[in-house]
Amino acid sequence: MKLKINKLTVFLLLLFLFVGFVVKFTIFKNSEKSIANQTAIATLNSDELVNSFTLDEKKSNALYEGKIIEVTGKIKEISFINQRITVILTSNNKTFGVICDMNPNQKEKIKKLSINQKITVKGICKGFLKDVILLDCFIDFSANE
Amino acid sequence: MIFTLSSPQKNSKQFIARQGQISFFSYTSVENIEANNNQVLSIFDTETNEIAVNMLMRAFVFKKDLMYEHFNESYIESDLYPKATFEGKILDFEKNNNQLQTKIIRGKLTIHGISKQIDIKTNIEKSKDSYSMTGEFIVAVSDFQIKIPPILASNIAKTISVKFRFQFQPYEE
Repeated sequence: MKLKINKLTVFLLLLFLFVGFVVKFTIFKNSEKSIANQTAIATLNSDELVNSFTLDEKKSNALYEGKIIEVTGKIKEISFINQRITVILTSNNKTFGVICDMNPNQKEKIKKLSINQKITVKGICKGFLKDVILLDCFIDFSANE
Repeated sequence: MIFTLSSPQKNSKQFIARQGQISFFSYTSVENIEANNNQVLSIFDTETNEIAVNMLMRAFVFKKDLMYEHFNESYIESDLYPKATFEGKILDFEKNNNQLQTKIIRGKLTIHGISKQIDIKTNIEKSKDSYSMTGEFIVAVSDFQIKIPPILASNIAKTISVKFRFQFQPYEE
């Protein structure tokens, strides 16, 4: 009898652990962490992206919002405000640009960047305020000129 | 928001923060929820003391995907109301005061398509040619017609604490 209870306890414990892991890794996983290996739905330059949003914000949101896009542009500014790594890309419209909030693991790559350098950034488009906003960005060095 | 997107007037002195930070917190005995937005836009005019803030609701980052989904799909309905805005005026602002000044910003906060008059206390600090503004305030979920399903009512606080931090630079076109 005693052995039976022990077996049951062990079984229940294992079951709880298993359910716990399944819940943790399926429901609560943070999918945005793995965009480095995902394919972008659109590849465009910063001028095209900014022009698209200034012309028709609604249509552009439908096209790009929540999606992974790849944007090529010249660096206007690199900042470290609020412990974030941010790269701002210029566009041919002086007022507007692209704000790229970098994934923290891009820190080493950021050190090699300089103002006016042309880079390609992959990130999740969140929409447009005065700039198009991309989060969780990764740098692709192959596009350097 | 009209003056936010227009070019600065020649006589006005405008300052811009493109990477303002807004965080909000919901504390309950069941769980604590925290979200951060580091791309909040604000423009502040030192001649008229007017300030405008604009943010994307989908740019709030949560610890868990499920929180992000509930927030955007069910509560804020970001497809319908993608932005939250604030338009107001800093009362008795002293633009040449180099000391820390604590002032009230009185204005209209719009979340989920609902606008509400609000007074926000802020600490303003001037350094050379830039200003920083920080503060904290409380919003009631019910004020903005945000519906929380009964099953999740115990997970989300009735009042949400909001923190902000803006670093303003001169706005040059």
